[in-house]
Amino acid sequence: MRGQHREQHREQHREQHREQHREQHRQPGRALPAAVGALCRALPPRARPAPDTLRRARFDRPQASLDFWKLLYVLLKQIHGGRWTESDAIGAQVRFVKWALWYHGYGRPQLQRLPADGSAGSRELLLAFSWLLHSPGLLEQLLARSRVQTGDETSVCTIHLFTSGSHVDQNLGHFSVTETDLIRQPENYKQLLQLLESETTRLEAFLEWKQLEPVYWQWMETVLDNMAEEGDMCESQDVHVEKRRLPEVTSCCPWADKLTGQMDRLSRDLMALQEQLHQLVAQRKAAWWQKVATREELQKERFSATARKIEESIELKLGGLTSLCAPKKNKMHGLCRLVLRSKHPAGKMSLGRCVSKEAAAAVSAAEVITELQVREASLQRELQQLRQQCRHRLDRIAEGLEGVICISP
Amino acid sequence: MLPAGCGRRAAAALRAALGEGAERRRELERRAARSRALLGRWDDEEEERPQPQSGSSTEHEDRPSPKELEELELLNRALEKALKVRKSILKTPLETQGATGQKWAGESHAPKKAEEQQVPVSVEDVPECRKVRAGSKKPLLLKKPSPYQLRAPYRTDPDVKKLQRKVPARCVSQGPRTAGKISSKGMTSKQGRSHRTAAGASGREVCAAAEPQETPGLSESAPNEQQSFSGGDSAAGKNSLATDKQLHDAGKKSSGFLAESSKKDTAGAWGRSISPGTGTLQEKGCQLKLPLPYRKAYSRNSRAWERCRLCQTSADATAARTRFMERIQTTFCSLKLSPSPAEIEEELRGLQDVPSRLRQYVEAEPADPSTLQGEYESLLTLEGLQTTVSQCLQKLQLLREALESQLRLCPDCTGDVGSCSPACVPVRGQTCDSPDMLAVPLLCYSSLQELRDLFALKLQVSMLHQEIALQKVMMAELLPVLEATPLLKGSAGLFRAIQSQLCEGGRRFPVLVRDELLD
Repeated sequence: MRGQHREQHREQHREQHREQHREQHRQPGRALPAAVGALCRALPPRARPAPDTLRRARFDRPQASLDFWKLLYVLLKQIHGGRWTESDAIGAQVRFVKWALWYHGYGRPQLQRLPADGSAGSRELLLAFSWLLHSPGLLEQLLARSRVQTGDETSVCTIHLFTSGSHVDQNLGHFSVTETDLIRQPENYKQLLQLLESETTRLEAFLEWKQLEPVYWQWMETVLDNMAEEGDMCESQDVHVEKRRLPEVTSCCPWADKLTGQMDRLSRDLMALQEQLHQLVAQRKAAWWQKVATREELQKERFSATARKIEESIELKLGGLTSLCAPKKNKMHGLCRLVLRSKHPAGKMSLGRCVSKEAAAAVSAAEVITELQVREASLQRELQQLRQQCRHRLDRIAEGLEGVICISP
Repeated sequence: MLPAGCGRRAAAALRAALGEGAERRRELERRAARSRALLGRWDDEEEERPQPQSGSSTEHEDRPSPKELEELELLNRALEKALKVRKSILKTPLETQGATGQKWAGESHAPKKAEEQQVPVSVEDVPECRKVRAGSKKPLLLKKPSPYQLRAPYRTDPDVKKLQRKVPARCVSQGPRTAGKISSKGMTSKQGRSHRTAAGASGREVCAAAEPQETPGLSESAPNEQQSFSGGDSAAGKNSLATDKQLHDAGKKSSGFLAESSKKDTAGAWGRSISPGTGTLQEKGCQLKLPLPYRKAYSRNSRAWERCRLCQTSADATAARTRFMERIQTTFCSLKLSPSPAEIEEELRGLQDVPSRLRQYVEAEPADPSTLQGEYESLLTLEGLQTTVSQCLQKLQLLREALESQLRLCPDCTGDVGSCSPACVPVRGQTCDSPDMLAVPLLCYSSLQELRDLFALKLQVSMLHQEIALQKVMMAELLPVLEATPLLKGSAGLFRAIQSQLCEGGRRFPVLVRDELLD
């Protein structure tokens, strides 16, 4: 008897669930096409899919596959700063997309197993696309990277100085060379204007997308639901199979080679440093104990107080070191607009004519200079190491030279 | 000598590097030329037309043809006539202007060269700070009342007053440096008056009027392509906006300064463009104004960016998105737990500069501290550095292991994945919710020296990158040549060359001495 009740209960639950599902399918209604449309319009101009492509992909239609591969290819190429042409072969596109998704940490094995001719898998690609929206923030990255350049990226000190005070954007304060030239020869800058306007449209689409987002994610969940129902989720065995790939796989990926090279060099550098420090510390310790031993009776009392102070100051000094090893958060990447800003913030800003939209991501030239100096030093060292390597190898060769003695400069 | 293939490849690498360098230099020169042009006088071509060219000009304007000069003459005459008419009509309104009126009266200006393709709106951009060239005997220079007066029949005084009001505001908003300029400009006005924007603004009006086909509403009084200029500087600012509004109100369709005019060629008589004014950027740069269409587009654009930056994902969206992400991640291979290749690369990037920075600390330590405290400090510092180094080494080891395990799942990417690594790696942990991604990326400098240092360093760094890349290529090509086969007789010379190139950067040569036994 109880069993029957339980069965009825379960049946009711299942029915409710199905009803909810149907609701979800019905609910999107107008919101979903709007969301998908806004999403498409927020993508860069040359990589804009038709909303239909996404819809077809949701049902795994093979016709949408080629388009979707192309879409992901172009979008990911833009993120990776690579070049691409309309005529890139589908095989190359598939390979690149698979690699890039792996690179960003997308781990669905089904994607890696899709055919290399791009003939199937639109639904998998839709899932990957949605994942990319969130994980490296695809939309935002693309917006930021393809930003219309109205500013200067090169040295134009004098023009900044002379046009100070004239820009509508108080945050900038002066014109760039481009803008100054625009004033002088407006007829040359039609394209710039058009680009600005189309970018504005794109940004407005982005805002619309942000409003309608929930509907899109719910839609994507239904995709996952479908796949679950189809029994797509049982690939745990395959995962193990994948893992058993041979370790010599490293040589197939030039990116991995490059990274391994960097790691090797870093390791060598650090170990050399470690060796040097080891010696220094040993020396210092010896010197220290010597000094202390002779004056121990005199200094002991007074010294413990100063010792603590010294320890604290060292902690402060080296406090910055721990952050060294952590990757720099929110470091500015890519192109920045050069802006002349005098060190004295008084003046026009304080008059509050415009609400100063403090751009949080302003970097000072001094910081960049410091970093560049460090980078320069480390590059110099790298070059010297390479030359040293050559010297060793050439010395060995010189020994083999018959009848000739080599005197290095 | 070098085997053919090796030589070819090495040469190709070198040529590519040279090509890149040449390309960069061309680009820099182009930009420098553009900047130089901007820094020079902007109206050079106008001035040199009736006069022999002054040497400082960097413009490449053609000399005006006789036909153009003729047209110029006709236009001048028409201008004179029209202005005579205006003078009589407009004397009265001028007196009611009040305090600022006198500043607008009786300016002398040099007629602008009209670029008819320039729709009047573009003229608005013209910063109204043309330097008046009194005393110059140019035929084009006429003494006329302020061009704004030409507007009076069509526009009522309140508009002008509006301009007046805006002027002080704009002046105040200028930085201290520019304020000085304005006053000095006022002083140097040949008419002994300080000029205000309205003059310029109305100058624009006039120019607008001078384009009958584009501004039907305003053109009655200026049937000719008459351009008059307002001299002096101006605190552009709102005044231009006010004027622009009027232009719009007048029913003139602002087709943007990009609208082409059919009379492009005849405009040659008036010069290449309606130059924003005489003088150099140094003199009037602070009063320059961007063209209205650009300004509008720019401010809409930057408002949109700001809204996007501040836009936050709604709670619903976050919840829905998180649900999706969690569910999809359960289907990932368990390796998802380790850092992704992107994250590994980013972490490695962070470690790259550590040895350099640590070395700076080490080198900063005194070799032999004199005091006890100094000794102690030194010891502690070095020990701290030691700890840091071992931490970094540990981290490196972890990264290596992570990379290895990730590589087991690496899809087969053959050579054509090529430039895989992102030019700018997305910062770790950056998801779509980081507002900084959409912030205006600004690089602020505070002095010319800083700018110079910055770019010198940038150049140095990129040159080092290139040198290192070339070094690697050369090593890969040249060393095997010497190492491979038993060396032939003539190899000594080759050895010398390669040694110099690879070890000394081509700057010094080793000396090869024949080892001849004397017995």
